[in-house]
Amino acid sequence: MTVANMFKEPGANPYRPWPARITSIIDLTEHEKLFELRIIDEKVREGFQFDSGQFVELSIFGVGEAPVSISSAPSKQGFIELCVRNAGDVTGALHAKKCGDVVGLRGPLGRGFPFAEMKGHDVLLVAGGLGIAPLKSLINHIHDDRHDFGTVTILYGARNPSEILFRYQFDMWKHRDDFNLILTVDEADESWSDEVGRVTALFDKIDIDPDNTYGAICGPPVMYRYVIDEMRKKDMDVDKIYMSFERRMKCGIGKCGHCGVGHQYACIDGPVFNYWEAMNLQEAI
Amino acid sequence: MFFRVMESSRLPDLVRGFAQDHEVIGPVAKDDRFVFATIDDPAELRLDYDTTLLPPKKLFFPAEDQLMRFRVADNEVLDDEVFAAPRVLFGVHPCDINALLLMDNIFLKDYVDPYYKARRDATLIVGISCVPSEECFCNAWGTDEAHWGFDIFLTDLGDRYFISVRSVKGAELLDDFVETREITDADTADFQRVTAERKEMFAEDLDTSQLPLLLDAKFDSPVWDALGERCLSCGACSMVCPTCYCFDVRDDLAPDQKTGTRSRLWDSCQFSEFSAVAHGQNFRDSRASRVKYRYYHKQWGYLSKFERVLCVGCGRCARACAANITPREVVSALAKGGFE
Amino acid sequence: MAPRVVVMGLASDFGCQVQMTNIEDDLLDVLGLIDLSYWQLASSGHMPAEYDVAIIEGAVTTTEHVELLKRVRATAGVVMVIGACAVTGGIPAMAGQGDLEERYGCVYGADGAEVACGRVSPAPVKSVIDVDYEVPGCPMDTTEFLRVLSRALQGLANRVPEEPMCAICKTKENICFLDKGEICLGLFTRTGCGARCVTLGRPCTGCRGLAKDANVESAMKILAAKGFDVDEVAERLAVFNTLEEAFCR
Repeated sequence: MTVANMFKEPGANPYRPWPARITSIIDLTEHEKLFELRIIDEKVREGFQFDSGQFVELSIFGVGEAPVSISSAPSKQGFIELCVRNAGDVTGALHAKKCGDVVGLRGPLGRGFPFAEMKGHDVLLVAGGLGIAPLKSLINHIHDDRHDFGTVTILYGARNPSEILFRYQFDMWKHRDDFNLILTVDEADESWSDEVGRVTALFDKIDIDPDNTYGAICGPPVMYRYVIDEMRKKDMDVDKIYMSFERRMKCGIGKCGHCGVGHQYACIDGPVFNYWEAMNLQEAI
Repeated sequence: MFFRVMESSRLPDLVRGFAQDHEVIGPVAKDDRFVFATIDDPAELRLDYDTTLLPPKKLFFPAEDQLMRFRVADNEVLDDEVFAAPRVLFGVHPCDINALLLMDNIFLKDYVDPYYKARRDATLIVGISCVPSEECFCNAWGTDEAHWGFDIFLTDLGDRYFISVRSVKGAELLDDFVETREITDADTADFQRVTAERKEMFAEDLDTSQLPLLLDAKFDSPVWDALGERCLSCGACSMVCPTCYCFDVRDDLAPDQKTGTRSRLWDSCQFSEFSAVAHGQNFRDSRASRVKYRYYHKQWGYLSKFERVLCVGCGRCARACAANITPREVVSALAKGGFE
Repeated sequence: MAPRVVVMGLASDFGCQVQMTNIEDDLLDVLGLIDLSYWQLASSGHMPAEYDVAIIEGAVTTTEHVELLKRVRATAGVVMVIGACAVTGGIPAMAGQGDLEERYGCVYGADGAEVACGRVSPAPVKSVIDVDYEVPGCPMDTTEFLRVLSRALQGLANRVPEEPMCAICKTKENICFLDKGEICLGLFTRTGCGARCVTLGRPCTGCRGLAKDANVESAMKILAAKGFDVDEVAERLAVFNTLEEAFCR
């Protein structure tokens, strides 16, 4: 049985986190670290199947819980990676942890990107800032299943070069011909040889086949409208543009009400919605 | 469902009978209002109550509810058991019975909430017929009658109760503790008469037929801005609501900081922090947007999932709101595009 | 190493330091976590030169206080203020309204201004130095004090409840004082004490300060519409909230 279903078993307590050990910590930027976590219970660890775009509730007793999207690919099992910005109580407490420390996890939660549906198509991924965190999972999943996809384009923008996440991977990928990767920053410095400007400006540099392309967007809330406009200008279908929303997913299981967006809850109905759904969601974009 | 008739004078026997193996909880007076509280003597029961300050949700989903105890050092749960003793909730109005059924959709489906479930499973519900008060508008949602969601339901016919029996347990307890008889045609006729008379007692009908559509079509209505100016963001409406289920979660450490408890506490979408995320973004930072969301979620969000609105017309929010923002006013203002 | 803590009082009745002694049951546990280097109410010694956490009670009323606070801020990594006087200026702040000199004269006679030399208009600690943690209330609530202290020891950010008192009051099934025709300041006041006064049968006095979420303008209109004397409401609010921006007249 998958872990997602174990939470729903009669007698299970979906509020009770599983202990998970931190097995690696990589400093990505000044504010972001990449944590590798392994659930301690072997049965649970092996049953932990998820989709890109799903999230976990990270639980540190005494501090609280915070929703974090999974950055590693579903094709890699036995561990998950979380890219976490130090932005609040829980994420701050996580940043203070050391390798070997134990934290809690609940999940995988929510609805992710429709990987199976995307197969056989081109994919255009657009990330802004920390929005790369969930898309990284999808990018790596596509990488591990590359022959099932057509053209894969990745547009990723950050405020400045020091805020580009996973740069160690992306610097290598820039030279690959199976991924069309374009990086941009708002403010460049002397180390920067890639694009300068908003991520939306990169749309002039790409060619896409609108009938055959799925979009995936994640970034700060202000970004969505502009990126969607560009995708629509390229004639992409409204129901093939997918995006992940950040909301206050506190319980993660559709009960506490904090992540309401329009008539839906981001935690169980999302956090990934397609544009058609988002258009019908009040307060969404 | 089958039916029995019990003389009114037998009611104390029924309460005492239940009390043998159950905690009996029912409406009792608190100054000039009423609250659900443990009944030690059947004479305390006030089945003539209008409405209680807090709805029965407090008994299934307490205002502050410990979820688990934990140890800090290894982030381990020490205990997440929930203890629920058998009890009878005696004297619940149809609106509140219906409200629990709406709560069930949230807490007993998909991810089953073990805390709510344990208490729900351990509780028998005895319904009681009521007389609408000024604030009641349950008839607008069809929640003025309860067809299920109780073990037995007592309709007051004056000298006797017409009892609808829903569950095996209810039937058994009724049989064990009190003398009842089969219904006659005269009983049924009286039941019909009393029910019809009650229907006449409701204040004017509230037209809610187009509400879900209006909420979307008039999402930017100035009505919300006007309500936002009045709203005190106090959250009283959410607390007293029998169907508001939102909660916050808080960890508290013991004084030695080694162990602690994780609890949930009733929360309200009317508080400014409710929709804020860690990076400082607040998706509903105006009072108007928060007042609107409360209605939008109740009358459309929940409806879109469960085909019922998340309101039973109990009128508690109308009584609790110091700013006198009432569903009746909001619904009609939205329909008319302004206030009268 | 346990953090070195000092507890000191400015202008106040030391009620909140007394509250600390009322933690009895848990005090030993708390003392096990900290190195209590100085406690003005309970120590006969002097303040040490170095410490990590400064817990401050009372309002700022003299230039001496101002200098002391600046030294404290330069020394302590963490500054926690406790009680209404320190958090909002509390009752002492009322004295700052109007002509201070004239008041000195009333109290100290003809040489008042000279005797009261070095006095400043009473103010909360945050008006002089940055404050990291707040425990409001008159007196402060011991449970809340322990909770805030725990957050400080964990290095978690200060968190002050933003919403008014009414919600928690409803959960206690109190009958609203406004419905009984009595002025209650719960509509204005930041929650966090569990609506203790109302639950014990007295209207809220607003001792915890103004709630960020409070809609002061609407609340005043509503109270007027209900027939309450808004001047009296304002006067009662002034007892603990003279310096809250929303009331500055």
